[in-house]
Amino acid sequence: MDFTAILGAWIAVGLTLFILSFLYRDNPLFKIAENLYIGIAIGYIFSITIYNVWIPKIYQPVSNRVFTSLSNWVPWVSKFVTPAGDAGSLTPLFPAIIGISLLTRIFPKISWISRYGFAFIVGYGAGLAIPATVATMFIAQIEGTIQPVFKLASGGAIDLSGPALWTSFSAILLCLGVIVTLFYFFFSLEHGKISKKVTKIGIYFLMVYFGAAFGTTVMGRFALLYGRFFDLYTYRTSGYYHATPILILLVLIFFFVYFGKSRKTSP
Amino acid sequence: MKNGKIAAAVLAAIFFASVSGASAEKKKIEIPPLEGLTARDMPYDMGAAALLEWKIRDCDNQDMTYRIFVSSLAGTGPALRSFTEAGWIKVDEFKGNERLAKDIELPFWAWNASKNIHAVKVSLDNFFGKIQDGSVYYFKVMTLRGKQISESPVVPGAVKGNWFNLSRFNNLFYVILISMAFFWAVTHAKKGNLFIRRITGLDAVEEAIGRATEMGKPVYYLTGRLGMGSMSTIAATFILGEISKRIATYDTQLKVPHTEPVTMTVCQEIVKQAYSEAGRQDAYREDINFYVTDDQFAYTAAVDGMMTREKPAACFYMGYYYAESLLLTEIGSHTGAIQIAGTDAEHQLPFFFITCDYTLIGEELYAAGAYLSKDPVLVGTLRGQDIGKVFAMAVILLGAIGLTLAHVRGWDGLTRVIGNLFNSF
Repeated sequence: MDFTAILGAWIAVGLTLFILSFLYRDNPLFKIAENLYIGIAIGYIFSITIYNVWIPKIYQPVSNRVFTSLSNWVPWVSKFVTPAGDAGSLTPLFPAIIGISLLTRIFPKISWISRYGFAFIVGYGAGLAIPATVATMFIAQIEGTIQPVFKLASGGAIDLSGPALWTSFSAILLCLGVIVTLFYFFFSLEHGKISKKVTKIGIYFLMVYFGAAFGTTVMGRFALLYGRFFDLYTYRTSGYYHATPILILLVLIFFFVYFGKSRKTSP
Repeated sequence: MKNGKIAAAVLAAIFFASVSGASAEKKKIEIPPLEGLTARDMPYDMGAAALLEWKIRDCDNQDMTYRIFVSSLAGTGPALRSFTEAGWIKVDEFKGNERLAKDIELPFWAWNASKNIHAVKVSLDNFFGKIQDGSVYYFKVMTLRGKQISESPVVPGAVKGNWFNLSRFNNLFYVILISMAFFWAVTHAKKGNLFIRRITGLDAVEEAIGRATEMGKPVYYLTGRLGMGSMSTIAATFILGEISKRIATYDTQLKVPHTEPVTMTVCQEIVKQAYSEAGRQDAYREDINFYVTDDQFAYTAAVDGMMTREKPAACFYMGYYYAESLLLTEIGSHTGAIQIAGTDAEHQLPFFFITCDYTLIGEELYAAGAYLSKDPVLVGTLRGQDIGKVFAMAVILLGAIGLTLAHVRGWDGLTRVIGNLFNSF
């Protein structure tokens, strides 16, 4: 087997065990994995930002535009520099300047400049969020809730068959469920006797939903856990030089030594 | 004699050829030409689609097939090029009684949903990649019935991005309506004290901070995983301001680990302002807010580690959370901290319920800022929200009744009106 595949398996098993070791208690192995994880995550995001955002979306269009303009004014420039891609554009400079303005916070004397950038980001964020929220959290929810309670059979009369009645029941339940749940979220209304009862029904609806959501999510998390265990199972073989059993053994030895020592030193 | 036979045979051949040609011609004429074929920019889109329209014909039925062709080259030569040279691409094929204007998904206020016009949306970006604004494309429609084929003339159509999307006019209408309700509520809130119902989770804030002060341990405040474009993050930063004031007053240690750098900087300003309002500028430190990493689980691992080592007395989880919710709150619970969570991520709420002492459900998170500050203007916004809810409840009830009536009575117009009014497009 390829050496990199074996090395990858050992690293994967090792880091999985280091992270899982936190289930017992905080220890140096977990700290290693934690710091490695953070460092790699920051480095990865930094490189993604450089190669997927900064170079293709800012540097290339702006430099292409600058070189194209320079070539028109000073023809000999084109002998030395050939812009890659199209003629480019200077427009990306505006968002770039806003972004760079945030870095002025490093220098206290000019940190006030960053406020313009933040004002733009917060204003833009709120501006973008408000219509999107109205569309998805308000209109789309109403659209999804409004349904005809009865359906027509082929003859034109109201369909009273079993499935149709079940659909009607679902539509009524959904409609009433939404209304009573909304009632729970009234903040400026003092709840009287009747409204308290309505609110309580609303809470029941919420609890049913939360129970269903909990079950669904837990099942999803188990799928992730199986994935990790499957890796540990796969890497136990001789092809990977028994990565899983050896590393489990080493982690256990470390635990005995480390926690045995700390027990002795603790008063 | 032989020549005469040949001449007769040739004449007969010419006769039959002309007869069969005439009959073939006659058959071709049976498909009447398309009337009023036009190609134009698809209204209200980003400029990547064209709209072809023509009048329906008496012969339009499911035995007939329409084929739509598009080319970017057809009109560029001195004359119309041949089929192959022009690079015609078949973009659509459908039965003669399909693709009417009424089938286009646009609302009644922005579109004439006629049953007498064929309307076909051609998404050009599927065939030509990125479409330049103002580009002209050429279209033709082929009609097929059995072995008969009829071709329309080639029509050009330019496409461009549209500034306005009239189909979303209902969104604008509701935004204005809700804004008006807010302004009305805020104006009236200034005049008198508005009632605001008790939110237990927020009443416990004082208790949590007091406990941290007594124990001399830090308070952790997390603003969620999303940036400043999220409503829940905006609400979380607002609550942070109110909590920071109390923490500054009690002289307790506050720690706000961040996963989003812009949110971190906004929070730095908010906490600084809160300390200043509490008259404790001296207690403010720049490292109250600190950046960990953007990565979801690296952030979780780091915060879990910090909480395990420092054993905070109180943890606040406000904002939007994903799978890290349980990983964070479980550790917080193990450290023995009072935990208060608030999120509109409904899938994560169950995890907060089982691990936190108090949980703000959905809109309670938005109400928290007003509740903590008791600012009449903010409390007024709660009344505005309530008006919005009354509106939604009324619309749901009336809409369901209206749709049922329309369905039972066969009022298609009413079905369309209700459907369009509450479609986010």
